[in-house]
Amino acid sequence: MALEYSFRSAFQSLWREKWINMLSMFTVFSGLLIISLISFFLYNFEVIANRLPERFSIIVYLNEKLSGEEINNVIDTLKKRQDVLSLKYISKDEALKEIKKVLRDSSHILEGLSENPLSSSVEIKLKKDYVTSSAVRQISGEIRMMSGVEDVQSGERIAEAIHLFKRSLQNISIIILAIISSGVIFVSYSTVKILFFRRKEEIDILKLLGATKGFIRAPFIIEGSVIGLIGGGLAAAGILGFYFAVTYRLSVYIPLFKMLILPQEILILLPLTGIMLGIIGSAIAIGRLKP
Amino acid sequence: MIAFQNVSKHYDNNIVLKDISFSVQKAEMAFITGPSGAGKSTILKLMYMEERPDEGDIVIGDFHLASLKASKIPFFRRGIGIVFQDFKLIDNLTVIDNVALSLRIRGVSEKEVKTLAFTALKKVHLRHKADNFPKSLSGGEQQRVVIARAIVAEPFLVLADEPTGNLDSNTALDIMKVFRGINISGTTVIIATHNRELFRYTGKRVLKLDGGNLIGEEVG
Ligand SMILES: Nc1ncnc2c1ncn2[C@@H]1O[C@H](COP(=O)(O)OP(=O)(O)OP(=O)(O)O)[C@@H](O)[C@H]1O
Ligand SMILES: [Mg+2]
Repeated sequence: MALEYSFRSAFQSLWREKWINMLSMFTVFSGLLIISLISFFLYNFEVIANRLPERFSIIVYLNEKLSGEEINNVIDTLKKRQDVLSLKYISKDEALKEIKKVLRDSSHILEGLSENPLSSSVEIKLKKDYVTSSAVRQISGEIRMMSGVEDVQSGERIAEAIHLFKRSLQNISIIILAIISSGVIFVSYSTVKILFFRRKEEIDILKLLGATKGFIRAPFIIEGSVIGLIGGGLAAAGILGFYFAVTYRLSVYIPLFKMLILPQEILILLPLTGIMLGIIGSAIAIGRLKP
Repeated sequence: MIAFQNVSKHYDNNIVLKDISFSVQKAEMAFITGPSGAGKSTILKLMYMEERPDEGDIVIGDFHLASLKASKIPFFRRGIGIVFQDFKLIDNLTVIDNVALSLRIRGVSEKEVKTLAFTALKKVHLRHKADNFPKSLSGGEQQRVVIARAIVAEPFLVLADEPTGNLDSNTALDIMKVFRGINISGTTVIIATHNRELFRYTGKRVLKLDGGNLIGEEVG
């Protein structure tokens, strides 16, 4: 096989055209890095946002004068609702204990109180699909009408904000992704095209000497995959570095950053994507070779 | 084995070959001569399919060029060794790698490539320039590299376009010995030249071309 020749020719050309090749590598690197940064944030936001509905709850304050049986009735009615995922009854005493726990050393604040001023409550967690501002508003309205219910507290504002933020983040990311992808494709295409034109004469000679299309294409494809591999590898290193910087360094100041997740697949996916871009780029730039 | 039947060729509005018919036998050595612009190079280009005829048939060995599939062209060309008038050496390959390219394209194993390439370079007295790049060679030396590249893979047909154009008469005669040598071992050789010295006293057939017309034949 002429494989040895193809590799040698590819690496010679990589070296000979090092500046333009470095430009292509940098293009692949920066393009993939930006794309993966955006995906990284989108992914993590998605993870966090998906977890929020679990934490999101409606607090139903019960009338103080309710008997134990009446309280059970209210709880039963709430349980039967199809939008309720789970609920938890918090008695007056438990509520007080909670507060004392929170206040800890400062619990002397409460010492003057002769009577427990808190009311018993039920904490409801909604099913994921119902955590939208309109649904929450409707549900809390319905519960407020129930007898024995004193008041309902819900974070419909929060639910709305989460929803809106998520949607606009997605839209912006899609736009940015589209712009960057087309930029990367354009620059890769142009650089390979330049390289191709520089070697047009050589290619024509190879054809006249009886070289097959495969023989002519092989060095270009190898060259493209090496450029893509290095660009993609650097992007993987970049996102890994960024991830550690954020989770280890910045999380000291912003603990939320500790929760960020970097899917490991991305570290393999990036070099592979790079190789694929390189191969596609060279194949397109060489185009159909006429005999 | 090589046959042109009523072949015509034009470029733009310039008719370059007019109704040309001739044939060359297997293992023959033949010359095509004529003044500059007569159409010598064009005849060779039609043979290795760099150009296509407007009319007429061309047969080279077992290949009918009019009906040759595009995918078969590389394999057809591998049977031919070409000495291009404008050399067509690859500047970023060394002399030895330029010669070896002929072999690598044909899938010759790397073990044999170096030996064969050196043998061919020795025939044109350029072994000592093996590791130089073409640009650092004189015109005559470059031309001899092209000749080495054309003969190294032992093609059944060698097409040489003005192969001694840049050589002094001594070196030219020496190169002619190389062509005669491969011809004696059975290779068909066709040489296009306007240098009458090359075919004088050879006893080989000479096709005379002028203004795109085949005006006659003589024996050198
Ligand atoms: N690619 C081309 N486009 C247009 N005209 C061409 C082309 N190639 C050759 N010609 C014309 O065809 C005619 C024959 O050219 P050709 O190269 O066959 O001549 P030649 O006999 O080889 O001449 P020389 O001895 O100078 O090499 C010339 O008039 C030339 O101008
Ligand atoms: Mg010519």
